[in-house]
Amino acid sequence: MTTIQIIVTLGGIALSIFIAWFFWFAPKTKMQAALGASGAQEVAVTVKGGYTPDLIVVKAGQPVRLRFTRRESAACSEMVLFPDFKQSAKLPEGEEVSVEFTPDKPGEYGFQCQMGMLRGKLIVE
Amino acid sequence: MVKDPVCGMDLDPQSAFATRQHWGQTVYFCSQSCVDQFDADPRQYALAGSITTGYNPDLSSARIELPIVGLKKSDRAQALEGALQAVPSVHAAKINAGSSAVQVDYDPSVVTINALSKAVKSAGYRVGGAQTRIGIVDLRCASCVKFIEDGLKATPGVLDATVNVGTQEATIDYLPEKTALPQLRGAIEAVGYQARPARSDEPEDVQRAEHEREYRRLLRKFWFAALISIPVLITAYPQFLPIIRDWPMETLRIAWGVTALLTLPVLFYSGGHFFSGAWAALKHRSANMNTLIALGTAAAWLYSTSAILFPSIFPEGTSEPFYDVVAVVIALVVLGQALELRAKGRTSEAIKKLMGLQAKTARVVRDGREIDIPVEEVLVGDIVQVRPGEKVPVDGLIVAGSSAVDESMLTGESLPASKKPGDEVIGATLNKTGAFKFRATKVGKDTALAQIVKLVQDAQNSKAPIARLADTVSGYFVPIVMILAVLTFVAWFDFGPQPQLVFALVTSVTVLIIACPCALGLATPMSLMVGIGKGAENGILIRSGEALQTAHQIKTVVLDKTGTITKGKPELTDVVVAGEWKPNDLLQLAASVERSSEHPLAEAIIEGAKQRQIDLVEPTAFEAVPGHGVIATVEGRRVVLGNLKMMQREALALGDLEAQAAHLADDGKTPMYVAIDGQAAGIVAVADTVKEDSAEAIAALHRMGIEVVMITGDNQRTAQAIARQVGVDRVLAEVLPEDKAHNVHLLQAENKKVAMVGDGINDAPALAQADVGLAIGTGTDVAIEASDITLIKGSLKGVVTAIEVSRATMRNIKQNLVGAFIYNALGVPVAMGVLYPFFGILLSPLLAGAAMAFSSVTVVSNANRLRAFKPRFSAK
Repeated sequence: MTTIQIIVTLGGIALSIFIAWFFWFAPKTKMQAALGASGAQEVAVTVKGGYTPDLIVVKAGQPVRLRFTRRESAACSEMVLFPDFKQSAKLPEGEEVSVEFTPDKPGEYGFQCQMGMLRGKLIVE
Repeated sequence: MVKDPVCGMDLDPQSAFATRQHWGQTVYFCSQSCVDQFDADPRQYALAGSITTGYNPDLSSARIELPIVGLKKSDRAQALEGALQAVPSVHAAKINAGSSAVQVDYDPSVVTINALSKAVKSAGYRVGGAQTRIGIVDLRCASCVKFIEDGLKATPGVLDATVNVGTQEATIDYLPEKTALPQLRGAIEAVGYQARPARSDEPEDVQRAEHEREYRRLLRKFWFAALISIPVLITAYPQFLPIIRDWPMETLRIAWGVTALLTLPVLFYSGGHFFSGAWAALKHRSANMNTLIALGTAAAWLYSTSAILFPSIFPEGTSEPFYDVVAVVIALVVLGQALELRAKGRTSEAIKKLMGLQAKTARVVRDGREIDIPVEEVLVGDIVQVRPGEKVPVDGLIVAGSSAVDESMLTGESLPASKKPGDEVIGATLNKTGAFKFRATKVGKDTALAQIVKLVQDAQNSKAPIARLADTVSGYFVPIVMILAVLTFVAWFDFGPQPQLVFALVTSVTVLIIACPCALGLATPMSLMVGIGKGAENGILIRSGEALQTAHQIKTVVLDKTGTITKGKPELTDVVVAGEWKPNDLLQLAASVERSSEHPLAEAIIEGAKQRQIDLVEPTAFEAVPGHGVIATVEGRRVVLGNLKMMQREALALGDLEAQAAHLADDGKTPMYVAIDGQAAGIVAVADTVKEDSAEAIAALHRMGIEVVMITGDNQRTAQAIARQVGVDRVLAEVLPEDKAHNVHLLQAENKKVAMVGDGINDAPALAQADVGLAIGTGTDVAIEASDITLIKGSLKGVVTAIEVSRATMRNIKQNLVGAFIYNALGVPVAMGVLYPFFGILLSPLLAGAAMAFSSVTVVSNANRLRAFKPRFSAK
């Protein structure tokens, strides 16, 4: 093996580890829902290549209102689904759409676009 | 004292001239002229607030019924009452779980409905009003938003109002009983703005328009990339083309430089969305298909450009560019996306068809005149006129006239249903022969059609458990592919043939490009979309992907007898007399006793007596003995009516009546003994007749390899008689209603997936216990809570179709999933070059791009094949 091959090999392994760390193990920022004027826990979520924020913390037993605004035209994200709460909403581009439900049990619930390309998580405490 | 709503006079309810029932409340009148005025247009007085709210300016209390979504008697429901009572100046709040509403007494001068709505929300519920959107002309300043919102919120009956400057529209939640659209418009105009109709209320239309725009945008991107691909391909493979073959290396290098510049706009225009999508995903520490395409094409472009700019730093023979990969792959993938979008649009065709059924206008009678108004403005309580050949605009009850109505679009029932006053009509159905007037009972999003659409959409977007694996995989998929691409590069760089750098780069780019997480992600939702839509077209509402998936594994179908196999309405069939009795006299006494009974069989006996023109008398000393029968005194005679247990309890000798009763029971009839003054006098028998198509449907279930079980509270013999007529395998008779769920559980213990079919009201626990609960709904009541599947048409054939739809859809999903998994499981290793050491085969990145683009198109197209599904019992 030449020196350059050893460097490429080590670099490749390091890059692989970095990819795994970056996508799976690095800590993500959480967003705590704030109590809105309507009496529901509210969070505004922007949809563009992903959900911002994509980790949302809410309290159990209180209604949650997630206000989604889609800021892209890719058809992939035209819908948001909460399979655990049997909720779904169409997100017309540029329009704010609210999804409302009341999580009863603490736990982690995923939300996603129709084909699971974009994902977020709702943490109920 | 009560108030006459017309003249405002206080009167004593006892001495009122006349009364009317209006929206569940009794209204009292002082004179004929007041009644006439009220009858001419009851809504006018309702809108004044005087009836529905009981609002009386002299009293500081008003009453309102707020419909609550998802209200059940539970702990939280108590919290709801508490939350409302905690609002200052609310005097009382009482839940009426039966009507899913909460009745609030409050001081309207202090409390707004908006405040009540907030209190409801804080208790975890939502007020279920109607929602409408109104456009606002020339809405520019954001500060005016608040004025309009406040104006709308101050309108009586408005629960919430939000104004969106971007769309120039107000979205208003309101109680249609209390507010009319003109009032909302008035509120907007009062603030100095002009109202206009909302652009489009149908999210489907918005989505279709968006899809169309996106499709055109993708096609433009494709044509641009395809055009650039031509010169790029020519210079990429000079050895195959006559003139270019002879170009010296210097000329070629300049040509490559030009293609480098040419492919830049392809990257940033045609492929721009891959890069922005990848970047956005990266910010969330996630990766998707965009990441893969962006990485692959960017790597190819950067390598190529450095190779032609600094050929000297690359080993001999590796300084050739791959601009063709950039241009062609982007062109192909964009084309794939465009085709996929097209195909996707077709998957929701069923919903579009359903929505298209909605009538656009309604002819209502207001102020004594018939006026045409948009269907959105029809209010509960309006009298609507429908002529032959017109669509019924909303749900309601016929008040005058009769006709035949074609309901096939909703129920799949091909024969028109005949309607007379008092019958229910469903919005979107077609009036065939006669003209009639009906009173609207459900409008807007409460109509059966709107509920069906909502149910179907929710189900189409729910998850099937089978998708879970694909979902888990696609969550890890992209980073794994990226790691594989890195490792492929390293492997080829270390162990590959010369020129190693070129092989390493081409293979790792190919890996990035061929991997297709989309196909995995699309496999289930696309088929679900079509399958559930197909069900809806045939009058079968499948509530979730889970229900659809479980339904295909059903091995046992439990059918409730009454109302499911049979018509559910017993009729008087026989009157047997003992001794000197005459049939009509016996029937008169028996039917008179039953006048006080609430038992369903009682109605059949009374109806039978009426048909024989027998006058009934009022019974006295009525006593019902649960599980036995009834006892009452009629014209001084003590009449006992009941089953064998009743006769034994009374210690009566039955003689040959017992044998006759057994004979009747063998025929599936329900015999009831009649004893008069301590003597057995005869038998009246009633029977619930079998629906015409039950036997045919059960035979079809058998052919599908499904065991059919009948469950009933009736005695063994009645049950067996019905079972013989329709051919069920097993009969569970004499099952108490509360034991039905337990019996379903016992069948499940045989390790079979069990479906329960019932009416959804009495059978709710059994429906919930079953793996799949199918409720036979009739008319407008489609949202039956306990059921997984609702059969709108009251026929057992729907069970067959439901299972057929489920089987066809699951087959389709499996094809898609297997296809997508195999594609990736084969494609990625081949792209990595595992075949190279053995066969010398290496995949071209161009082919990889084509494969990737068309794999997701294939999945969507396969899902679209389901649209050709035809049920065995087709309604059309």
